Amino acid sequence: MEEKSKSLGDVTKNVHHVIQGEYFVSDDPSIVLTTILGSCVATCLCDPVARVGGINHFLLPNGDGKDGMEFRYGILSMELLVNGLLKMGASKSRLEAKIFGGAAMNNGLARIGESNSQFAVSYLSNENIKCLSKSLGGINARRVRYVPTTGQAQQMLVSEQSADELSSAKRLVKAEPDVTLF
Amino acid sequence: MTLKVLAIDDSKTIREMLRHTLSQGGFEVHVADDGVDGLEKLECVGPDVVITDINMPRLDGFGVIEKIRSQKVYSALPILVLTTESAQDLKERAKNSGATGWVVKPFDDEKLIHAIKRITVG
Repeated sequence: MEEKSKSLGDVTKNVHHVIQGEYFVSDDPSIVLTTILGSCVATCLCDPVARVGGINHFLLPNGDGKDGMEFRYGILSMELLVNGLLKMGASKSRLEAKIFGGAAMNNGLARIGESNSQFAVSYLSNENIKCLSKSLGGINARRVRYVPTTGQAQQMLVSEQSADELSSAKRLVKAEPDVTLF
Repeated sequence: MTLKVLAIDDSKTIREMLRHTLSQGGFEVHVADDGVDGLEKLECVGPDVVITDINMPRLDGFGVIEKIRSQKVYSALPILVLTTESAQDLKERAKNSGATGWVVKPFDDEKLIHAIKRITVG
């Protein structure tokens, strides 16, 4: 559902909220994307020439690390976002990133926030995507607002109560891998 | 005999993951950065199976499949699509272009290796 908002400039913006496990891309200059992050990480990507951008919001599953599956869901989230932008005319070489989140919400999720952050930084570096800024870690949840067509971002720290609510948010659901032989 | 895999994907992260996973599975792995690079490496590698992404710059996965199938010598070469896409119409297009199978990311190591072995059994 979209609502109206006036910030990130004086123009009234349509707001689209991106929840955990989702991604969203847009070339609509009237839209602002929002998300609320605890241990999760959001990658905000923009091609300032094509004026398209988007956000993902991921939380790596807490696997045992033996099979690397937890990283594959992060990679999937990144690929969906990048591919979505390329389909809208973006060039991978022009993409500019801003990353947020990865807070240590409580003892149980402290390691996960750090792991999410490390993954995002490492992925962007590996793919040669320029990271303009990052706000990662700490103990507070974050509310992020992002204009996909310009790459403008705002961050606001969220209260402890909201952080507790976020820490109990549902985890990324593992989809069954799909193999089809023709 | 060690089977040779040519993995075509524009994501370095995915290429590294495939190289690691398939090497552990006993395959000889060669990688290419996109469709054009994949076709250039096809002849020198002489793979037993090709794994290709769909969304790539310069030449996408459908183009790769069509170019490979246009050469008689590769008419029976198994081609597995590995992609984030899961739409039925895209699967049908790949099948009609000559793909042998379709795997949706994130892939499971064992299932991917099993699929490769199934389609390369002579």
